[in-house]
Order: sequence, then C-alpha cells, then structure tokens
Amino acid sequence: MTAARARRYLQGALLAVATALALTFALLPIVWLAGTSFKSPGEFTSRQPTILPREFTTMHYQLLWAEGFPRRLQNSLIVTVGATLVSLVVAFGAAYALTRFRFPAKLDVLFLFWVLLVKMVPPIVIAIPLYQVLRLLGLLNTLPGLIVVYQVYTLPYCIWLLLGFVRDVPIEIEEAAAIDGASTWQTIQRIVFPLIAPGLVATAIFSSILAWNEFLYALLFVHSPALFTLPIHIANYITEHETLWGRLMGIGLLSSLPVLILSGFIQRYLIRGFAMGLK
Amino acid sequence: MTIGRWTRLVGCALVALVLALPSALAQPSGNLVIAGRDGVFGEALGLATGWFAEENPGVTIELLRLPYAGLYENLVISLRERSGAFDVVMLDDTWAPEFMAAGWLRDLEAAGMAINPGFVRSALDASRYPFAEGPLFAVPHVGNVLLFAYRTDLFEQYGLERPGSWTDVLAAAQTISEQADGVHGVVFRGIRGNPIVTGFLPLLWAYGADIIDADGRAAFDSPASVAAMETFLALKAFAPVGVEVYNASEVRDALQRGVAAMAIEIWPSWIPALDDPAVSEVVGQVEIMPAPGQVAGPSPMLGSWLLGVAADARNPQTAQAFLEFVTSDEIQRRLALEVGLPPTAEGPYMDAEVVARYRWYPAQLEALQNARARPRIPEWSQVESILGDYLQFVLIGQMTPQQAVPEAHRRIEAALRR
Amino acid sequence: MLHRTQNLTRILLLLPALVLLAALTIYPLVTVVYYSFFDYHYVRGFEGFVGLDNYRNLLGDLFFTVSVRNTLVFALLATSSQLLLGLAFALLFNRPFRGRQLFVPLMILPMILSTMVVSAIWRAWFHYDFGFLNNVLRAVGLEGVRWLFDPGIALYSIALVDLWQWTPMVFLILLAGLQSIPGEYYEAARIDGANGFQVLTSITLPLIKGHLFLAALLRTVDAFKLFDKVYALTGGGPGISTESVSTYIYREGFRYFNVGTASAASIIMLAVALTLTLVYAGQVLRGQRR
Repeated sequence: MTAARARRYLQGALLAVATALALTFALLPIVWLAGTSFKSPGEFTSRQPTILPREFTTMHYQLLWAEGFPRRLQNSLIVTVGATLVSLVVAFGAAYALTRFRFPAKLDVLFLFWVLLVKMVPPIVIAIPLYQVLRLLGLLNTLPGLIVVYQVYTLPYCIWLLLGFVRDVPIEIEEAAAIDGASTWQTIQRIVFPLIAPGLVATAIFSSILAWNEFLYALLFVHSPALFTLPIHIANYITEHETLWGRLMGIGLLSSLPVLILSGFIQRYLIRGFAMGLK
Repeated sequence: MTIGRWTRLVGCALVALVLALPSALAQPSGNLVIAGRDGVFGEALGLATGWFAEENPGVTIELLRLPYAGLYENLVISLRERSGAFDVVMLDDTWAPEFMAAGWLRDLEAAGMAINPGFVRSALDASRYPFAEGPLFAVPHVGNVLLFAYRTDLFEQYGLERPGSWTDVLAAAQTISEQADGVHGVVFRGIRGNPIVTGFLPLLWAYGADIIDADGRAAFDSPASVAAMETFLALKAFAPVGVEVYNASEVRDALQRGVAAMAIEIWPSWIPALDDPAVSEVVGQVEIMPAPGQVAGPSPMLGSWLLGVAADARNPQTAQAFLEFVTSDEIQRRLALEVGLPPTAEGPYMDAEVVARYRWYPAQLEALQNARARPRIPEWSQVESILGDYLQFVLIGQMTPQQAVPEAHRRIEAALRR
Repeated sequence: MLHRTQNLTRILLLLPALVLLAALTIYPLVTVVYYSFFDYHYVRGFEGFVGLDNYRNLLGDLFFTVSVRNTLVFALLATSSQLLLGLAFALLFNRPFRGRQLFVPLMILPMILSTMVVSAIWRAWFHYDFGFLNNVLRAVGLEGVRWLFDPGIALYSIALVDLWQWTPMVFLILLAGLQSIPGEYYEAARIDGANGFQVLTSITLPLIKGHLFLAALLRTVDAFKLFDKVYALTGGGPGISTESVSTYIYREGFRYFNVGTASAASIIMLAVALTLTLVYAGQVLRGQRR
C-alpha cells in the first residue's frame, strides 16, 4: 500500500469517526429522551449513565394520558393550525402584491424592511401592550387570542418564504393567462397556486413548527388550565417539588413526534428557506 | 272577586315556593375549577375532590396543580382580570393581604358559609383582612407551621444535647460534619425566592430582628439581621454540596436517606415520610421541635395555606359547598391519615388514630396554636423576592452580610413606598 | 412587473398584512414607549408621570445591568460557538458520502424540538447527583460538575444547551453556502498546489461570507431573546448569574406588576436589539453577490 493510499484510508476513517461523533452529538439526547420515558421510576436516581431502560414500562404514558395530555394536544393543534392558516392567507396576499405590482416610492422595500424588524423584536418587549389589546378585544385567555398574537411570530416568516416562492413563478405564464382574458383572481387560483403548492406546504410546515413550540405568549396570555398548550403543560411538569422525569420525557416525546415527522418533509425547504434570507 | 285575587296570590306564592325549593335544596352541581398547589397539596386536593364528586354526582371538578410561583402569577392575573377562570383558589397566607385588600375573594361569613368552630385561632386570624379583625375571606386548609428536625441517634452518638439555641445548632452541625462519615450536619432550602426566605425567617426572628416593624415600615437594617445572616451563612459549610439550589424535594431526600443530621426548616407534610420504611432510612430516629430561639424565644412561623372563593367565580355556591366539605373535621382527618396533610382544626389533632400514626402531632398542634404570621403587607411577594435575592447573594459568596443587609433594606423600603 | 397597476387589487391583497402588523407591532411599541415614562402598577393603576426616572433607575440597578451583561455574554458566546461547530459540521457533511441524504435531516432534529422539551432533557442531564452528564463523568473517574448551581458556570451551561439546540441551524445555512461553491474552484486550487488549510481560508470562507454573516445575525438576535431556557433550567439563579433581560422584564412586568419599569427596560432592550440588527444587516447587504 502506498503512503498516499494509506493516508487516504486514514483520512476516510477519521472522517467517518467525525461524522459518527457529529451524529451522536445531535441524536444522543433525543434517543435518551425516548429511552428514559420508558424507564421504571427507580432508575431515575441511579448513578449509572444509562440510555435504554433496564425495566421497560409504559406507566408514564398512561399517567400522561390521564392527566390531560389529549386536551393540551387539542389546544396546540387548534392554535397551530389556526395561526398557520391565517398567516398563509395573509402572507400570500402580501407576497403576491409585492412581487406582481409596482409600488410607488419604494414602499415595498420599506414594507419588507419592516417585516425584518418585526422578526428582530424580542417578543417580551411588546407583551404588555399585546396583553391589553387582547383584553380590549375580549380575547384574553382564549385560543383565538393566541392565534392572533402568534401572527407576530408566523407572519413575518411566511411573508419572507412565500415571497421567494411567488417570485419563482415566471411572469410569462401569468401574462399568457391575462391575454387569454383571465382576471387576477382567476390567475391566482388556476395558475399560481398549483405552481407554488410545494412552497405553500413548506411554508405551512415551517410556520406550524414555530407556533407548536411557542412558549412565552402561551404562558402570558392563557391562564385557564383547560386552555394550556403543550409547551406550558411540559413546563408544569418541571415543577417545584418533583422532577417527574418519566412523565417529563414522555410528554417531551409525545409533543415532539408531530413536528419531527413533519420536518422530514421539509428538510429541503429548510435549507432553501435560510438561503432565501439573502435574496 | 277579592277571594279570587287572594287565591291567585297565594297560588302564585305556592308556585314560587315549589319552584324555589328544589334550588334551595339543590345538590351542588355544575363545573368547579380549582387552582391549587402541586406536590403533596395537589395529592390532598385530588383526593378531596374525588370524594366530593362521589357525594355530589352532578359536579365535575377540574383541579390545577401548580408550583409556588406559577400559582401566584396565575391567580393575580386571572383574579385581577375577573375572568372567572377559577372558582376555588388556594393561597399562601402571605398572599392573603394582597388578594383580600384588592377585593378578589368572597366574604364567606356574609355569604352564609358554615365555618368549622374548631379552626385553630392563629390560622383563622390569617384568613381575615384586616388581620384577626376583618371579614373572613378564606378558610385555612393546610395547618402548616415551620418546625425543626434533628436525628436523635446521631446526637446521642456524639454526646449532643437537643439544641436550645442557634449557637447550639452550629456547634452540633460542626461536630457531626467533622466526625460522622458521609453525614452533613445540616440541610436547608437555598434556592432563591420563597424557599430560602422561609428557611431564614425563624433564624431572623430568633435573633430578635424583623423585616417590617409594627408601623409597616422596613426595619431590616440592624446588627441583629447581620448576625442572623452570618449564622445562616455559617450553616452552609456543614450542608451538602449544591444546597444553594436545594428545594423541598432535595431537602426531604437528604433527610430520608440519612445524610443530614438536622433540617432547620421542616414542614408537617414532609414528616410522615420519615417514618415510612418504604422511603426512609431513618425511621423513628428523627425528633421534631419548634425552631430554637437565640436572643428571642422560639416563635414557630405560620405557613398555612388557605382556600378562598374567587369574587368572579362562575359557580360560587358549589365552591362554598366544597370549602365546607374539605375543611370539615372528618375530611381533614382522612387527609391527614392518607397523605399527612396537617389539619387546621383541633378535632383531627385529638383523634386517636391520627395521633397513633403521627406521634409528633400534639407538639405540632401546640406550635400551630402559638404560630407567628409573616408580615401582613400587600407587597409581601416583592419584599420576599428582594430578601430572597440578597440571601442568595450571601449564600453563594457574592456579598457579605454587612453589604447585603443595608442594600436589601433600601430596596424593601422602595418597594413599600410604592 | 409588467401588469397594469390595479390599485384596488394590490391594496386589498396587501391590506390584511399591513393591518395585522400595524396592530401587533406599531401600536404595542408606541404604547410601551408611552408607559415607560410613567409609574404604572398593574393592580394599583397609574401613579404619576416620572419622565426619564424609570430609565435612570434601571441603569443604576445592579439587577438590570447584570442581566444585560449576562444576555450579551450569552449571545456572544452562543453565536461564536455555534458558528464554529456549525462550520465544522458543514465542512464535514459537504463531502459526498453514502447515506448523507439520510444523515443531514437527522442532524437538524435538535432545532425542531420545542425549547421546553430541550430544557427538559438538559435539566435532567445537568442534575448534580443523578444526571446523565455527571454520571458519565464519574464513570470515567472525574468529579461531577455543578452545572446549574455554580454561579460561574450556570450561564455557560445554558449556552451549552443553546449550542446543542441551534448549531443545526448554522449547519444548514453554511451547508447551503458550501454547496453553492462550484467544484472547479477547488480543482483549480489543488492544481496550484494549495493544501487543505489554504483552500479553507482563501477560497471557502470568503465565498460563504454572506452565509456566515446571516447565520451570525440570526443566532445573535435569537440568543438575545433568551427566556425559555432560563425559565425552565435555573429561574435566573443562582443569585442573578443567569438572569437575562427578558427574564428581568418578565419579573418586573408580570410578577411585581411594575409596568412602567418593565416598559422602560423593554425599550432599552429593543434599542440594543435594533443596533445589533442594523450592524449585521449592513454586513449582510454588503456581502451579497448580485
């Protein structure tokens, strides 16, 4: 074996090890989460580092289910789907208007800059006035109220992402339709939507992940136990008195499964979404 | 025609009576939302709500179990908004002045609730606003009084006497930490906020100091306060590693596993587990007493939890019925036996079965009857938070007691002035 | 952009976004500025105009200034460590190898989880007596680390959690950047005899400068908002070593109900965030290739 070949083998081996280490770094805590959710209570105070349960049990999941998990799951679903739908509709309108129509005095650039700024504002800064806005509208401590305030998170992202997707639709296609006598609404409906359908889906999933995981506003604007979303429910398990690890990890896994599955579909778009920030 | 009119009137009255009677005799019904604590308090309310629902099939109950700070925030926001989110609320006696002054709780005596005549006076006083004199806005539910625990076997082994003062406590802690293998002299809750302040207050009072004086002004800046803080800091050397973030579960665990010889703060609900062989390795070896004095005699600190009916409750009648139920002698007796929840009425303390199970209950009752309440100011939450922060600074070594006391005093003053 | 400007349609399409954003951002911001000049308590109501007093008190308040320092230290540390590790991962995964298609989606799983779930895992791992990390350390003969209750370490522990959760985002951005570099550049460099390190510094890094700045911008702004992790892991302690600006505002506004003070602190926080944004945005815009 020549020195060059040996070095290449060594390089290859090192890279393989490095890759394995990288994957372990990313995945070990998640695997541990899953494993611990099935461990028997006695194993939590063990001084041995373990990942898989020695004594498998599903008791934590049973307790979780009985302690109100389904209701919180439902709340999270309602808020997430609601917020995403609203954002998609509103953002699509904005994205289409911005890319297809001429605006005077660079208003469109200004609008986009504003959208960027909204992304940068720390959510707590506007929490108190938002609280009062919700109170005035009678939406405090309601799920629709959360759907409204979540627009602060989801709308800017949706506008940015849909902007890129709409821009990608060649103008010639729409012009052809216009020549054939189609109105704007018909064009949107029959031509644009189908073409950006995958983009819509990706944006929807992206926005859903944001809304699903949101914590601060759910904490501040909802105080009835029946209306808690999953992140708040999880925080309650990190309680003052016991760190109920079995249930904590179980609910962590349960509430992550939907987003974990969805993310598989949008991995391509996540990359694209971030590259889009440059355009 | 006069007869006809009279007949009609009487007829109407009878009809009205017949219609009203069912609701007057009505079983409690509807949905009841209860905001309570987690941990053993959550267990107790869970049991009690279950029993109540059995006896009143028309009632559905939603019980929320929250940690200390979470419950406080939740209650302030929803009571202030009058959102009707809760019917029954559980509150620490220190939150009572704030909640009651703001009119967030129902006047129970005026609403015709049956009040248990056996309530311990000190706890009942704290349920009134103004303290001891005003209307009754809540009823005592958990007869918590702060106690002190030490290991009789270890004390005997090293020739120590039952501590009569905090100086004794320090000396004993030092002896045991140095000589006993794997045992720390003392354990306490060091995590910032309500826990560290609660552990510290008996010490502060024992040195004759106080946070608020009789006129409601800040009185924390005194040599006695500094001395108390110095003793508190000195205890850390004989406590387990990490005591600065210890909360209830860590303290209880340390006691039960036998690695701590003394607990300067122990609550009645923690004690039963010490005599339970399933979780404790020190069965029968822990003695309970009021926290020692130093300059001033022992003054056991009242830490009762109250139950009130929210002013904006959606179902106040059922809420009231539940309060009567859960504070009755019988239910308090059952809760004491099942989960070790300390009663607030004298009856259960005298019950033979209870005393047989919990040998220290007579001492606990006496402590409760002589309990001293924390300052009755609406701003207590903020004052406690300030004190907790500065205690933590001292505990982790970022400040000396000499620096911390005047600064804490200034901030407390500012908080009271608002 | 060759449509006839159909005024009504374009306004109708844009209007909902305009209205929502105005209601949710402009109105609240104006209100926060307004409140910051008053002594306003949530329960007791307005208690007088105090001008700049709230701001002055904040800047002189140790609790606030320490929280600002903590937040900036955290943001800087988190961003730089994530940039380094993300770059390493991106370089590693930029080479084609079997299974790469499967592995990249796996690498980004941490950032998909909610911060509460992430905090739950690491809270258990950081436990001094029974946590996974200390168990591993003790198994190899080392001492346990006081992850969350040593005031000198706690903030770094939280940065470690952030590193785990968000390196995947940097990884994705940088990987996209790397993959847009044409292979000919590397070949030309190899022909010229450049070694790996020279290729990295002279070709790769300059070509992905825009992506690096974007990643730095996004992570810094995000890290600045630190709240969830502190809430779940330390509550701001021990002492105030993990108190962040967001947790400070939360305590003042939603625990003590001093709305005036909380509003002033919010404005200060916003000013710092905007400054950071503008600095970075300038770099990103300059780094763009058009």
